[in-house]
Amino acid sequence: MESELRRVVDALPGLVWTALPNGHIDFLNQRWCEYTGLDVAEACGQGWQSAIHPEDLLEFVQRWRSTLVSCESGEIEARLQRFDGEYRWFLFRICPIADASGRVVKWCGINIDIEDRRRSEEAMPTRWWLRAPAREGHFCSIGDGIEAHVALVTPTGEIEIVNRRALEYFGATLEEQERRSIADTVHPNDLPNFIAAWRGAVETGRPYDVEGRHRRADGVYRWFHMRGSPLRDTEGRIVFWYLLHTDVDDRKQAEALLAGEKRLLEMVASGHSMSGILEALCQLVESTACGCHCSVVLVDPCGTRLEHGAGPSLPGTFIAFINGRPVNSDSGPCGMAACLNEQVIAADIPSETRWAEWCPTALAHGLQACWSTPIASTAGKVLGSFAIYYDGPRTPTTLEQSLIERFTHIASIAVERAQNDAALRRSEAFLAEAQRLSSTGSFLVDVEKHEITLSEELYRIFELDETVPLTRELIHSRFHPEEIPFAREVLERARAGDLVVVDKELRLQMPDGSIKYVHVAAHTTRDQNGRLERIGAVQDVTERRLSEEALAKVRSELAHVARVACLGALTASIGHEVNQPLSGIITNASTCLRMLAADPPNIDGARETARRTIRDGNRAADVITRLRALFSKKDVTTEPVDLNEATREVIALLRSELQRSRVILHAELADDLPPATGDRVQLQQVILNLLRNASEAMSGVDDRPRKLVIRTEREEDNRVRLTVQDAGVGLGPQGADKLFEAFYTTKSGGMGIGLFVSRSIIEGHHGRLWAAANDGPGATFSFSIPRASEGVTNTSPAPFRGLQ
Amino acid sequence: MVTRSLVSVVDDDESVRESLPDLLREFGFAVQAFASAEQFLASDYVDRTRCLILDVAMPGMCGPDLQRELTLRRREIPIVFITAHGDETIRPRVLEQGAVECLLKPFSETALREALNAALSSC
Repeated sequence: MESELRRVVDALPGLVWTALPNGHIDFLNQRWCEYTGLDVAEACGQGWQSAIHPEDLLEFVQRWRSTLVSCESGEIEARLQRFDGEYRWFLFRICPIADASGRVVKWCGINIDIEDRRRSEEAMPTRWWLRAPAREGHFCSIGDGIEAHVALVTPTGEIEIVNRRALEYFGATLEEQERRSIADTVHPNDLPNFIAAWRGAVETGRPYDVEGRHRRADGVYRWFHMRGSPLRDTEGRIVFWYLLHTDVDDRKQAEALLAGEKRLLEMVASGHSMSGILEALCQLVESTACGCHCSVVLVDPCGTRLEHGAGPSLPGTFIAFINGRPVNSDSGPCGMAACLNEQVIAADIPSETRWAEWCPTALAHGLQACWSTPIASTAGKVLGSFAIYYDGPRTPTTLEQSLIERFTHIASIAVERAQNDAALRRSEAFLAEAQRLSSTGSFLVDVEKHEITLSEELYRIFELDETVPLTRELIHSRFHPEEIPFAREVLERARAGDLVVVDKELRLQMPDGSIKYVHVAAHTTRDQNGRLERIGAVQDVTERRLSEEALAKVRSELAHVARVACLGALTASIGHEVNQPLSGIITNASTCLRMLAADPPNIDGARETARRTIRDGNRAADVITRLRALFSKKDVTTEPVDLNEATREVIALLRSELQRSRVILHAELADDLPPATGDRVQLQQVILNLLRNASEAMSGVDDRPRKLVIRTEREEDNRVRLTVQDAGVGLGPQGADKLFEAFYTTKSGGMGIGLFVSRSIIEGHHGRLWAAANDGPGATFSFSIPRASEGVTNTSPAPFRGLQ
Repeated sequence: MVTRSLVSVVDDDESVRESLPDLLREFGFAVQAFASAEQFLASDYVDRTRCLILDVAMPGMCGPDLQRELTLRRREIPIVFITAHGDETIRPRVLEQGAVECLLKPFSETALREALNAALSSC
């Protein structure tokens, strides 16, 4: 029997052995010995241990001992060396054999070759998955500990195993979950994407990585990050797909919120209307925190009333009710929050005791909670209130509070920006109005990039269309042709880095040929980035210029009138000057005729008298020429004037009158007198006027010589002075100033415009005319005007201050 | 030999002193010219002068002054005034004072001739 059993035992397709209760091996079957290559004698006792892999031996021995102590069956895995030296994994199953009293009398064991299974397990990073039931519990405790949904799925999509978190999320048992289709768990919108990812992964054997929403047991979809990795056997075949689904819903929400915020800030930056931004803000909050209604009210510019800002989902009648409510604590949560600059929470409006008027209205609109938060500017000024309403009583959570804080901040940015923009627009409008009123435009030129920016007013001055792109050529087309070289020169110098400063009057020529006068003040600077910029202002001075011209014309005419009036007074004197040579002509001509008629004719005498006739004729012509120059009406010119010569001519005109008036004239004309700048005729008019005044001032003087001194001299500061000193009645009690007023006169026949016109002429020459009493009798009148610049023939004072 | 009548000319204008004597000589008079009243008075031609052609306006002593002076000295020389000033008020004044004529420059040969005739026939 025993030998029969032994044969059976030896024939079993496994390695079988027995041990004494103390663990001492007392039997090994033939297959054991054949496998290990050890004979029974070698292997019995402790000898078998030489066949266990050294790495596994320590653990094996410990487990073997604990099994012996437990007196219960057990399993141990270890590598066993084959006769040829190769190790293979074996599962050692050990069972105690007990007697009737339960005492272990023998241990029997069977070693099962698990090498193939071990190999496939080694391909899996989580080999504990496919363990025997005892190990499954181990897996579950680990798998359930992971903060994610974990599953093992066959390549055909069947669930092999799934962790408890996943089952709880889906609200299903493993069996139920196994029966569910993917469409039951993934959001319909995400399904195509997920299926495509899965198919692609199965086809290529590559991991996939996709995001989608999973339906929770309560029907709410949450976002998951879904990853799948293949598990392969030693041959490289995919055995399973290991799925790891991580809940990223909070992150997705935060991202959506962030994107929403970004969108809002972009709206702010791109200048959307404030109401549009606030509307979008409310909608974002409403989509983030489901079931709420959102509103923004603003404090009006006076700070006393609320104005509607936004409230996309609030009833219109409620918005109308809030709009215009006072900013105070009795007004309602929003009015109170804005007034106190503090958050006001009305968590349960039905039981609210504040706001007697507001509460019934809110309740009538189905609103039972209202959380109102002040919107404050960066400077701390309350701009309005941001409110969240709910249909039921509710207190804000920490998350909601942080949302409120974020959105209140964005609202403050939007409102402040809108207010700043409005202020900027007002300021720009103010500037544009100021430019329009002062006919002053401004420009900015990026010297390097040739970019030109003109203000609205400058477009008007240049008569340019704002819609047409600006080019240098277009702008130059508005310059008077004579000014273009100057404009070019300035630009070239600016481009060469010369910080050109211009302060100059220029002419523009419009397409219709009309001329405009503009005053240009411009300079070149560098901006923050070091780029060259030309900044300038252009004032249209055409009207001023035209009125100046008109004024100059009136002045010139007045001066002419004064000269003509003077001419009347001078008739006698002029008549004398002309009659004198005329008389000579007639006399000489008569003599000449007589000499020729004599017998024999006195040819020599006739020739002499004819010569004298010509001389006197020239003399008369000279007088007429001088008169014509002085009394003709011509435009004012500016040229170098020899004041001495001009004075001599006037004296020549006045000579006989002065003589008749018994005036003794002393002319003290400086030899080195430089030429003055001005209009010769007008200056002579002044000299004439001063001399005649002086002469008339002495008309009643009989107790002293009627001495008149006219003097020219060089002054400091490049000026020349002319002085007329008389010994007449003096300035009188009225003093000097009165003399220069128009129509002031002390003479019975005068118009009283002589000195007024004279002063206006001298001032027109950038000079000064004044009167002073003499130490002795009489008065002295003087004028001082700029001399002509040396070496310059035309000294027209240029308004151009030049290039610096 | 017929002694020619002496006509004296007193005028500060040199061109008159040049031209007028020539014409008077053509008329057949002896002529003496003076640049001022003072010169004439100081000369020894006063008594010999049969007719005085006198400018009204001159520096220093003017024509009417000389007329008055001659009256004071009882030298009743016929005087023909000449003046370049177109002033009509001077003429009646000097005529009232005894002048033969007052010619306004420019005057014609005929007018001069008539004035001289009147002057010379008056004595």
